[in-house]
Amino acid sequence: MLLSRDINVIPLFIVYICGFTGVANAIDLKTGVDEQAQLPYWEISTGGMSLRLIQRLPIQTRGYFMARGFKAKQAERIAQSCLFQTIFKNISDADSAGSPSNLEYNLHGWLVKRKGTRHRPKTREDWSKEWQAEKVSQAAQIAFEWSLYPTQQEYKPGDYNWGMTIFNLKPGMKFDLDVSWKQYGKLNKSSIKGIECAPDINPQSKESR
Amino acid sequence: MKYLVCILIAIVSSTVMLSTMAAEKKQTLPAVSKPFQAPDFELKDENDVVYRLSDLRGKVVVINFWATWCPPCRFEMPSLERLWQQVKDKDIVILAINVGEDADTMFEFTGELQLTMPLPMDRKGDVVKLYPVTGLPTTYVISPEGVVTHRAMGSREWDSPELIKQLQMMGKGRLKK
Repeated sequence: MLLSRDINVIPLFIVYICGFTGVANAIDLKTGVDEQAQLPYWEISTGGMSLRLIQRLPIQTRGYFMARGFKAKQAERIAQSCLFQTIFKNISDADSAGSPSNLEYNLHGWLVKRKGTRHRPKTREDWSKEWQAEKVSQAAQIAFEWSLYPTQQEYKPGDYNWGMTIFNLKPGMKFDLDVSWKQYGKLNKSSIKGIECAPDINPQSKESR
Repeated sequence: MKYLVCILIAIVSSTVMLSTMAAEKKQTLPAVSKPFQAPDFELKDENDVVYRLSDLRGKVVVINFWATWCPPCRFEMPSLERLWQQVKDKDIVILAINVGEDADTMFEFTGELQLTMPLPMDRKGDVVKLYPVTGLPTTYVISPEGVVTHRAMGSREWDSPELIKQLQMMGKGRLKK
């Protein structure tokens, strides 16, 4: 009786140890409310990286970009495009299971999937063409460029960044996001299901658009 | 039963070890993959004081690109100031370069923190484009010979003993004791 109980625990121990030593490869997905922003987030993490997407309300985005020189109509266009505050970290320096490893990503390799359609996130380079055509002030363009999450980067162990990613969907829409990154010498992929663009809780009146 | 006790001890001890390791976050300042000659630049601060990189040859120069709207930039600014207080007389120079903002916007933030380190302004974003910066904050360390040797992306606790030691080692042989 005692023996059979011990035998039942051993597989759990093995699973635990495997999880411990292979922590760099196991992908953990979670969602909740970000403590600082008090808004919903979606997060994936392994022993080597973590990526958190936190909703940004359209009303926040309007105010932010109008304060940086964009016209109301332009700020509205950005606000209606589904923004997330994005925090991507290379945490492999704290990885007890593996060795520190560089991390690379490219937003061009990510896919926004919704009801059978798919498209790539709208990057700072995509927007830059629009702002130049519309002769947006240089100060506003600089603020926009540096506010958006970089399109591609290589993070050394301990590096991370914050920035806005834009998924080009309407407020309140749900979507899945396929993400990829290179670390530990291989391409890693994961899909985050059921992400929701922040609702437009205080929509601009049509007259002001 | 002995097995069970051993397994429980193993689980508890490794969990405690992981928690401890997570709490003691290392501060990293990695070397760049390919060191490169630092592009020269000349910028003014809000009081029209001119900072020219080539004038700082012979010193370790830490250039930090930042903006007030960038949360990790704001987070690391106090520790960068504390680093400045510790190293300003030791041939280590910090240039915290604001990207794309005007003096009033910057002062609202820097005045609140009572920053005394050099705060040159890259109003048009020309200097940040000379360096391979993709996001803010990004910090480069330039050797006394004018070569970019290290980069930190994202905020750091700049006055942590390991980073201060690393910076001092970079200027070894040239620093005043």
